[in-house]
Amino acid sequence: MSNEASVSNAPDGLAKTEGERSFWGWLANWGPYQTLMSVVTLSPRRQFFILAAFPILWLLTQHLGPMLQMLHVSLLDAYPVAPDVAQEFSLESYLKFFGDHIFWMPLFRTLIFAAVFTLSTLLITYPVAYFLARHVSRKNQMLMLLILLIPFWVGEIVRTYAIMILLGNTGALNLALKWLGLIDRPIPFMYTSFSMGLGIVYLTALYMLLPLYSALEKLPKSYNEAAADLGAGAWTRFRRVTLPLTIEGISSGCTLVFLISTGFYATPVLLGGPSTTVFAETIAGFFHVAGDEWPTGAAFAVIMFLVALLITGVFQRLMKSLRKGDSS
Amino acid sequence: MSRGNRIALACIYWAFVLYVFVPLILMILMGFKDSKFIGFPIRSWTLDWYTRIFSDAEVLHTFGYSVIIAVLSTLISVAVGTWIAVLLEGRKFWGRAFTFGMMVLPALVPGIISAIAFRIYARWLEIEPGMGAIIWSHAVHNVPFVSLVVMARLSTLPKSQIEAARDLGADPLIAFLRITWPYLVPAILGASVFCLLLSFDDFVRSFFLGGYEPTLPVLIFAMLRSGMSPEINAISTVALVLTAAIGIWAERFTRKAKKGST
Repeated sequence: MSNEASVSNAPDGLAKTEGERSFWGWLANWGPYQTLMSVVTLSPRRQFFILAAFPILWLLTQHLGPMLQMLHVSLLDAYPVAPDVAQEFSLESYLKFFGDHIFWMPLFRTLIFAAVFTLSTLLITYPVAYFLARHVSRKNQMLMLLILLIPFWVGEIVRTYAIMILLGNTGALNLALKWLGLIDRPIPFMYTSFSMGLGIVYLTALYMLLPLYSALEKLPKSYNEAAADLGAGAWTRFRRVTLPLTIEGISSGCTLVFLISTGFYATPVLLGGPSTTVFAETIAGFFHVAGDEWPTGAAFAVIMFLVALLITGVFQRLMKSLRKGDSS
Repeated sequence: MSRGNRIALACIYWAFVLYVFVPLILMILMGFKDSKFIGFPIRSWTLDWYTRIFSDAEVLHTFGYSVIIAVLSTLISVAVGTWIAVLLEGRKFWGRAFTFGMMVLPALVPGIISAIAFRIYARWLEIEPGMGAIIWSHAVHNVPFVSLVVMARLSTLPKSQIEAARDLGADPLIAFLRITWPYLVPAILGASVFCLLLSFDDFVRSFFLGGYEPTLPVLIFAMLRSGMSPEINAISTVALVLTAAIGIWAERFTRKAKKGST
């Protein structure tokens, strides 16, 4: 719509002088409303504060509040605080983490798993995104992407269950392998790091695919053609042109998938085994027992969040320097 | 790019499609198996599991409960998320970067940590676990998604339209209601559907903030812990078909609306 058209099409109620017929005209001329607006719009500054007050209050109390309260509880020596006892702060909950390998091992394991799952997701989805962005006509692109979106609207639990049916001892995968004559007895895929990994990659693939797709889609085809004209082979073109110019997509996809996959609780419980206990299960344990274990649970959650943030921060810094190094 | 490479890439794409769809298709098939035993092969078929869940009061009740939670939390997130987007988009003020960071925070916090932070905060505010607590946590968690979608749409709004409205005598509120709001409607509808699906499918927050009544994912999780059964397949299939149908409808709707407005 052009500017001229929009001006001439401006609804008649907008003008205070001629708007008597419509609801808007009536509203604009209504005494109480005019008084209200004259107070509110006295200065742009006041207008801004009225607009900003509610959102800022919401963000402070609802977005930041839970995190700060979690930090607060993690520093208490008991929670809930008994009515006639003073609040005592202590670092005991944090020290507990380092004291026993049954606490720090799951965190270590979770981070390793998350890194492996993130890398696997990247390796699986990069060619898919590449194919969609470069080798499919614009019309089909949206359709083929939409096909992939459908399963991702389905929730975590349902998709985890679907993986359980695929991998079970009488599941489709074992049946297929048997039918092909590759095995006589079913392979126990379930309750291993493999089943857990397959499930988590299944849940997170889209969060990797979409940033990669949009990065690849933005990349002009002429860059590759120019490289080809200068004599670069397919592999060199990919390594020297495509890969460096899509690092932004890789970096944001990896960050997202890493953070999400550290946070899974139900999927490891259902698909993992005793040797794959992740930190989410450890943390949850403190909330299913007596109340005074809450400080420990909170402290562990804080530790996990800080470590995950630190790792993704270092990773993003690394990717940034990589991008700069390549372009110079 | 050589022909061989192109074929290889196409094969990878279709293999990925299989990876994404096969588990769900197997799960759907298993819901029609005429035996309590979950496993292949399927020899005879039945609709029993579906008639059973549709006559199960608890399942139906849980389903309705989840839908109410999804609708109410979506209404809150859309109202708040839109307001935040209007504040942040195209405005410079002191602390804007910090405000933006606070806005996206709930979307970046890993699921388990988010659930636990809400659980602790709910106890501090003396909110009892149950429907209200679940609605509240879903609403807060979904606000960033609404804000980001609405901000993207707002950034494409021609500023001249607002100026024209103001020149014609509209005050800021009327200009917002008559120009900005209609322009935002497609984006807001898209974001609402996204919130509905996020809330309906959410497990971890519903699990930690729920009282005695489970939401649908929590019910499926509880059933799974006591063993697999074809009833779970039937429930999951109904949930899957509904979410996929709503998702596809929303995708088509927002695409059409965007085409119509430009």
